[in-house]
Order: sequence, then C-alpha cells, then structure tokens
Amino acid sequence: MELLSNLALGFGVASSLTNLGFCLIGVLLGTLIGVLPGIGATATIAMLLPITFQLEPVSSLIMLAGIYYGAQYGGSTTAILINMPGESSSAVTAIDGYQMARQGRAGTALATAALGSFFAGSVATFLVALFAPPLTAVALKFGAAEYFSLMVMGLVMSVALAHGSVLKALAMVVLGLLLGMVGTDVYTGAPRFTMGITQFADGLNFVAVAVGVFGIAEILRNLENEHDRQVMTKNISRLFPNRDEFRQMVAPILRGTGIGSVLGILPGGGAILASFASYTVEKKLSKHPEEFGKGALAGVAGPESANNAGAQTSFIPLLTLGIPANPVMALMIGAMIIQGIVPGPNVVSEQPELFWGIIASMWIGNLMLVVLNLPLIGLWVKLLTVPYYVLFPIIMAMCSIGVYSVNSNTYDLFAVAGFGLLGYVLSKLRCEPAPLLLGFVLGPLLEENLRRAMILSRGDPTTFVTRPISATLLVLSLAILVLVFLPQIRKRRDEVFTESDA
Amino acid sequence: MTAITRRILLGSALALGLAGTAAAQFPERQITLVVPFAAGGSTDVVGRIVAERMSQELGQQIVVQNVGGAGGSLGAQQVAQADADGYTILMATVATHALNPLILTQKPYDPVADFAPISLLVLVPNVLAVNPELPVNTVQELIDLAKEQPLAYASSGNGTPLHLSGELFKSMAGVEIDHIPYKGSGPALTDVLGNQVPIIFDNLPSASGHISSGKLRALGVTTAERAPSFPDIPTIAETLPGYETYTWNALFAPAGTPPEAIEALAVAARTAMADPAVAERMAEFSATIVASGPEELAAHVQAEMAKWEPVVRDANVTMD
Repeated sequence: MELLSNLALGFGVASSLTNLGFCLIGVLLGTLIGVLPGIGATATIAMLLPITFQLEPVSSLIMLAGIYYGAQYGGSTTAILINMPGESSSAVTAIDGYQMARQGRAGTALATAALGSFFAGSVATFLVALFAPPLTAVALKFGAAEYFSLMVMGLVMSVALAHGSVLKALAMVVLGLLLGMVGTDVYTGAPRFTMGITQFADGLNFVAVAVGVFGIAEILRNLENEHDRQVMTKNISRLFPNRDEFRQMVAPILRGTGIGSVLGILPGGGAILASFASYTVEKKLSKHPEEFGKGALAGVAGPESANNAGAQTSFIPLLTLGIPANPVMALMIGAMIIQGIVPGPNVVSEQPELFWGIIASMWIGNLMLVVLNLPLIGLWVKLLTVPYYVLFPIIMAMCSIGVYSVNSNTYDLFAVAGFGLLGYVLSKLRCEPAPLLLGFVLGPLLEENLRRAMILSRGDPTTFVTRPISATLLVLSLAILVLVFLPQIRKRRDEVFTESDA
Repeated sequence: MTAITRRILLGSALALGLAGTAAAQFPERQITLVVPFAAGGSTDVVGRIVAERMSQELGQQIVVQNVGGAGGSLGAQQVAQADADGYTILMATVATHALNPLILTQKPYDPVADFAPISLLVLVPNVLAVNPELPVNTVQELIDLAKEQPLAYASSGNGTPLHLSGELFKSMAGVEIDHIPYKGSGPALTDVLGNQVPIIFDNLPSASGHISSGKLRALGVTTAERAPSFPDIPTIAETLPGYETYTWNALFAPAGTPPEAIEALAVAARTAMADPAVAERMAEFSATIVASGPEELAAHVQAEMAKWEPVVRDANVTMD
C-alpha cells in the first residue's frame, strides 16, 4: 500500500515536535487574523514571508498553510458576529449566520461553522492524499470556454442568494458586475472607470468593497436608531447546538463538503463559487426555503463546509503542478522558491516528505482548529456584550488597518468609506449586498474568459456549446434558471386560475 | 614615485577615507526596499534574498515593502516621490524602467530624471516553450508552422516584458501569432500545460520546473548566450540572429540622493551578490549576476529604452 506508506511518511514529518509547533502557530495566527475584521490570509502571509527564510522548507510551508485554513475558519466568526466578511466565501456565511446571532443563536452558528469546517477539512484532506494527480488532469481540461460557462452558472445561482425580490437581486448582480469592470482591460490595457486614478488601475480591492457594503453599512444602520443600538439581543440561551440542530446540519455539511471539494480543484476561480453554490443547493433542497436569510442553520452549515473543503483542495493544483489557485497560493509558491524548491510537477517525487508532510499537517491542523475554537465560542459570544461605543470604533480601526495592509494603498480606505455609504443606501432600499459581491467577484472572470475563448476560437461563438464540459455547464445553468423561476411562474398561474374560478 | 603622483595618491586616499566615514554614517536607521509587485513573484524573491544579505552588510535592517499595482508603476512612483535620503529604495525591473515609461501615455514618473541608479543586480532569461503536443522541436519548425496555420501564445499580460518578447519574436521571424494575455504567469502557464494555448513566453525561473519534468518543451531562451542552468536549450538568437530580451532587476534611489548613500548601497549590493550563498540561490533561480556600479546601470537603462522603443512602436502597445 503505497498510499499508507506515504501517509505514514507524512505523519512522521508533520508530527515532529517542531512541525507540530509551527502548525499550531499557523492555525493560531490564522484564527486570530481571521477574527480581526478586514485582515485576511493574504496580507498576513505576505507579512510573515520573510520569517520563513530561517525555517526548514517543510516547517515554513506547514505554518503558512495553517495560517491559510485557520483564517478561513476565523473569517466566519466575524461574518456571524458582526456581519463583516473578510473573504468572498464568508460573505455567504454572513447572510444567515448574522441573522442567527441576532436571534441569540450566535453560539449555535459558530459551533455549526466549526464542526462543518472540521468535517469538510478532514474529508478534503483525504481526497487530496488519494486523488491529487488524477484530479489535476481534470482541472487542466478547463479552458477559457469552460470557465466562462462555470461563471455563467455561478451568476445564475447568485439570484438564489436573495431572500427578497428577485428583480432587486438581479440589479445588485449587475451593479456588482459593473464595479468589477473598474481597472485595466486585460486585453487592450485601456483603463476603465478609474477616474484617472492610477491606484485603481488593478481594480477595486475586494476586501474594501466587502467590508464597506457589509460591515460599515451595518454599523451605520445600527447607529441611526437610538433604541436599537445593541448589535445583538442579549438573551443568549446556549452555546452549543442541541440534538435536533445536530440532525439538521448533517446533510448540508455532507453536500457542502462534496461541492467544495470539486470546485476547489479548479485553479481559475472555482473555489470562489463553492460557498455560493452550496447555499443555492441548500435553499433549493430545504423544506423551508423561506427560512433562508432569516437564520437558517443549513445556510451556515453548507457554505462553511464547502468553503473549507475548497480551501483544502485548492492545494491540489499547487502541490501537483506548481500552479497557484488564488493569491494565497501564489504566496506559497514564492515561499517555496525562497526555500530553493522549484514548484512544479516534480515536487511530489523529488520532495515526498514535503508533499506528504504538508498533507498530513493539514489534517492535524484541522483537528487543532476545532479543539481551539469550540472553547473559544463562549469568549467570542461575550464580545457581543461590549457596548457599541467601544465596539464600533474598534471595528472601524481594525478594518482600516486590515484593508490598508493588503496593498499599502490609501485609495482602498476611500473605497471602504464610499462603499460603506453605498451599502447603507442599499440597505435602506432593501437591496442585499451578497449578490452584489458575487457579481463583483465573478464579473472580471466572466469577461476575461469570454474574451479569451473568443480569441482562441477566432471569433466563433459555437465554441461554448461544441466543447462538452462547457456545454454541460450551460445546460445545467439553464436548468437552475428554470428551477429558480418555476415556482414564481406557477404561483402566478395559480393566481390567474383562482381569479378565473372566482 | 614623483611628488605629483604621490599627491594624487594621498588625495584619493583622503577622498576614500572621507567616503568611508560618510558611508559608515549612512544607514542610521532601517531602509525600506519597495518591491513594486506582489509578494511571491520573481522580483520579490530576488529582492528578499538581496535585502537579507545587504542588511548584514549595512548593519541596518532593510525591510521589503510590496507596493504592487499598475504593472509596477505604483511602487516606482512611490519611490520617485520619496525623500531623497537613501532610506527608500526601489527594486526596479525592465518593466518599471524601460517598458512602462514607453507604453504609458500618462507617465507617472521619468525613469531617468526621477531616479538615482545604484546597481544592476541580475539578468533573468525568458524562455519560449510549447506544449509537447504541438509538433515542433525547434524555433525554425515553430516559425514554419506559424506560416501555415493560425497559432496563439500566452503571456503574463499586456505590455509585460514577456508580451514584448513575443512581439519582438513575431516581427523578427515575420510571422503572425495571436497574443493571449493573462493576469500573471501562473494562469498563463496553467493554460499552456492544459494545451488550451500551445505556446508561451515565460520567465525561465517560473517555467523551469515544467521544462525539467517534460510538461513543457523549451524551444529557446531569449538571452544572447545559453542559460547556465539549462545548457541544452538553444538560444532564439541561434535561429534569429540578434534576438535578445531578458528581464532584469536593479536598485534605484530617488533622484538627488546623496552620493555617499548611493555609494554605500552600491558597495553593499556588490558584496551581497558576491556571497557564494547568494550566488547559489540566484543560480537555482537561473538568474545571472551582474552587480554593476551606478554608471553602468544608467547606461543600461538608456540602452534598454533604445532597444524597446521600436518594438513597442511596431507592436502598437499603449496604455493610458
């Protein structure tokens, strides 16, 4: 059994005292920065990169990996407690997680997120160990046309994120797409909607937009009403889910893990879709879809599992091909190069202790995270009893530091302020920020791949339906679209029939 | 020995002594090295390795700050506008100090007037590689194939050194190949490995792992000489005489920085690059060490701008 001996090698490397220590430091740091609003894994890993100079290659990569999935874990904490998602994945958790917190079920939401993440992380790690090379081959089958169709499917699903008017959700998606256009055109180099500001040449910063429309807007909304100023109701009954809630979360966690594992493998932005896709699926399958957006447990369990599974499987293209799936993975490649390791397909065969050591450490790290986080839930929930005049300024300050630290760009801070105001106006208009964020993230990918596919096919649009994977994805999108609109059409027809009956 | 030569010797010894004391005074606090690209890229890696060794030499910490954005222009602009005291320096590249100034219609800085050159550190070769499924083994076969059927090549983005290496190749070979820009080398490599696009111009360090494993077939390096790390890969110039492009990394301070500070930094850079440990890291990275003085760097910038100006004009690449 080659796999077993490989895993034994991996656990041997990862369970050395030094590597256990660095794994712990990594997940601890990751959790901490994940909990601080606005500071993401990318900024932290970038800041810590020089420290890894002095470490053994395995130790440094174990620590950096720990920061990454630790931050995924911690990021859901701020999303649930103060409606402040630090990454696109936790934007989905914020929808129902924050509502649960407002109902006094913050503890349950946090425990669900932690348990779901642990399960998903463990399963996905196992998948990485078992199927990394064949899965990479599948990922390479995705070209521009396939990514375009995948993004179309993502946009169709985004409509399901809305729990109010579908029209308003569509409007928000379009606004997000437009905001995603800001920056330099990849193909012609023309600046678009940058208002002549060089600092916006690479587009608006995601963290700035997310912190603005979710977090700052929420703070403004809370401040406007003298009587409604506490962030949360104070009657927090219990911290842990009861038996019934455990039963409710099992299926969403399983489905979320599956969705996240599959999408995480795609290096061109598949992982971004994982939590959104899981939310859509849960809402469609739920017996009580009306609960979504008002504190549905499945709306936390599914996306959180999907996001953590995706975080683990996005290591597959990195470890087997040396290809970064996202900015954090690009930093990991930098860390490897600094250590004198040439990233590429040879890492598995030439550095087996590195490859299997990292995989084993991911499982150990996930275990550490759940052990660390479950007892901390009580502490996080207590944070909510901090009075608003202390809490709000701290949140604002942390956000500003976090956003600035990503690119050292003052214009990102102006963007936070601007999008905070926009988010406030939108909440007054009862428009939801989640579809906007999804449009913002998917828009540039959609455009880039559409145009690339068209150049590659030399202007022939049939490329999207003649390539089998792309065609399948488009058919799926159509099916989802029908599923989303069918209930409304049926309802309207029922109304017509009732009228004619009468 | 005549009195005059003795006086000259004495004078230069004095001057050296003075320069020595000034240099000893120069770094009184930490120095910021602005890397105008995101952490983890090749410029960042070179910057961090050099900064670590130079810190030991200068007795003060050199802190790397990544100011990415606008193809390196944001970071370069920040250093151009920084205090000219030697405490803020730039890790410049062929992009910030030759290509961007030629391409951008609104110029955020002047690569010559706004900067004081310190040292040209390394030259990094680029490579022309294809997916092994493309039935070509040499540069000549690629040129012949391109004359028969439409082909496309991937690059790390519009206006990058790799894009212009491709454009220079097309104009010298007299062929038409579609350019497919990506947001960085990583996604471009992914699509060539998956044979979505058959050809790529990439940095040799970023493609080297895939070349050694056989997932990419290297047709030629872009430097005039073969790369020491890959002596089996011919140069493109062996087929197209005169073809030469490479990426380079150099240190610059803002214009008006005191000469003592420049001198101290140049000496530290040279010592750092002479360290066998650093040399070994650079060799792993396929980078050729130059470690020039300030004058050579100034001449290098002029030469690079003169070389790229017609390529940029012919390829009709502009950005606002």
